[in-house]
Amino acid sequence: MTSKEQITVLLDLAVELRGHGSWTGETHIQKATYLLQELLGLPTEFKFVLYKHGPFSFDVKETLDQMEAVRLIDLQEQPYPYGPKIAEGANAQRFRASTHTAQEHLQKIKFVSRELGNAGVAELERIATALFVTLDSEVAPEGRAQKLVQLKPHVQLQDSEAAFVRLEEIRNAAIQAGLCANS
Amino acid sequence: MPVEANTLHEIRDAIHTFVRLETCERAVLNSLPYQRLRYIHQLAMTYLVYPGASHSRFEHCLGVMELASRIFDVATDQRNIHRDLRDRIHYHGTLEHNYWRRVLRMAALCHDLGHLPFSHAAEDTLPAGYTHEDLSLAIIRGPEMAPIWENLKISAEDIGKLAVGSKHYPKPLTDWETLLSEIIIGDAFGADRMDYLLRDSHHAGVSYGRFEHHRLIDTIRILPHEEDGQVLPTLGIEQGGLQSAESLLWARYFMYTQLYFHPVRRVYDFHLKQFLKEWLPDGKFSVDLVEHLRLTDTEVISAMRLAAEDASRPGHVPARRIIRREHFKRVAEITDADRSIELDAAEKLSTELIGLFGEDAVFTDRYTQKGKGIRFPVLTRDGGIEWSTELSDTLRRVPTFTVEYIFVDPLHSERAKRHVAAFRETLHGKKGER
Repeated sequence: MTSKEQITVLLDLAVELRGHGSWTGETHIQKATYLLQELLGLPTEFKFVLYKHGPFSFDVKETLDQMEAVRLIDLQEQPYPYGPKIAEGANAQRFRASTHTAQEHLQKIKFVSRELGNAGVAELERIATALFVTLDSEVAPEGRAQKLVQLKPHVQLQDSEAAFVRLEEIRNAAIQAGLCANS
Repeated sequence: MPVEANTLHEIRDAIHTFVRLETCERAVLNSLPYQRLRYIHQLAMTYLVYPGASHSRFEHCLGVMELASRIFDVATDQRNIHRDLRDRIHYHGTLEHNYWRRVLRMAALCHDLGHLPFSHAAEDTLPAGYTHEDLSLAIIRGPEMAPIWENLKISAEDIGKLAVGSKHYPKPLTDWETLLSEIIIGDAFGADRMDYLLRDSHHAGVSYGRFEHHRLIDTIRILPHEEDGQVLPTLGIEQGGLQSAESLLWARYFMYTQLYFHPVRRVYDFHLKQFLKEWLPDGKFSVDLVEHLRLTDTEVISAMRLAAEDASRPGHVPARRIIRREHFKRVAEITDADRSIELDAAEKLSTELIGLFGEDAVFTDRYTQKGKGIRFPVLTRDGGIEWSTELSDTLRRVPTFTVEYIFVDPLHSERAKRHVAAFRETLHGKKGER
């Protein structure tokens, strides 16, 4: 994916998340992008690592910085401890008018925004980390919830288990919608 | 061999007056990978524009170690630890504190060991997927350093984690390790950033990079960041240090605009990359550690000087452009005003110039500043915590530095400038039509 296509995905995602009632901060964009890429197979080609609040991409962060610099997004400051909300910037509409998101990509963006629109940052962290653990072939399915707690000690075991249940719900809904493979 | 007494050594430093290290730590300084940094310019070929900017990674890394130690000592002083974090921070006097202080110092010292000749300028000439941080990590883990770490009783993996951080270390870091890594390479008050601003500014002879770093360091605190019931320790400052933090972040902005992205400096980087692509086997630096440690700026400059005078040598043309100062000329800088009319103005203009003069005669340079670091927690005078951006109008106004330059071969620069003027006239005419 070219950097322009990556920007298009992030901008569409910000708009869709906001449309589904999301706070739409950087964490929301980060985790939604992670699910888009790793669960729904959208080839955004961002590299993710496990960071303070779960899977995180420095590439996504740098792309958002770049989008802010050219006024595709605006950061709306919020009181501590909340991070800024991401809104469309002065140049966003013209950029969107000049680019085209493939229908298949747009469907996935809308799906993930619908599924995650109501989630807060803590829940997003748990769901995305649950996916991170699931993708680790060295972790047996029965040990996944415990592994998540080991990686993120501030997460309670029952919340960890709930995150895997929620992830499975999202995955099943995506399979039913034909947006991800049944494997 | 008699065991050398463990004493404190002082090294004179242009920025911090003295950098202090113990005998056992001096073994790192004397190691081959660290000594190599004497021959890696901190700012690539910036000395061709700012003659004083000929300092090396060697002294920068010493400075980073000194500043990281000072930050760590202030932030982990029991009197400075926030009440909500007292059970999560290894404070002064504990064994863990002593261990991690040593790890932090060595990680700061070694964080740039993987730099290629000419530092960042040559980064594109590594094989795909590799960064200089990968090489730093490999050297820290490698056989040359292993006996030193053993003697210091610290783990190479712990040093590697702090030196390259979460972005480059292959496994997740704990909250504590993340925090220590931010002391070295963090966006807001990382010791790396503080040292390079002060040092680069000093050597280049520009004053933009100076800020009140003593005051800033004295006010750095580890503060709780709570969101949705989860508390994470995060680097912040006391309110009294806010003006020093403002001056650091503006210093960085000015250093980008005035020094790091000086157009002639950038075009020398471009010609250097052209030279390296022709001179290196397969156009890439080796990631083999022996090969990596063998090459410094000295070998490259020597080859470049020979190539500049001998048309049969690889890299003759770009070498000549550097050695004889026949570099490309900047003919356009795309501004916010241009982008507000046409977002792809740089791409369009560049395509037109390539159509006129050919691909080899045009270079388009685009960059957006990464990790602005303007938002961090501030412990207010009444004991509350607020974002720096809530308390400081000045910080909210620090722009994200972004640049789009177009350069052409000096043979075509006059014609290219006329074309750029016509392009701009059409572009801004469009604005009138809207």
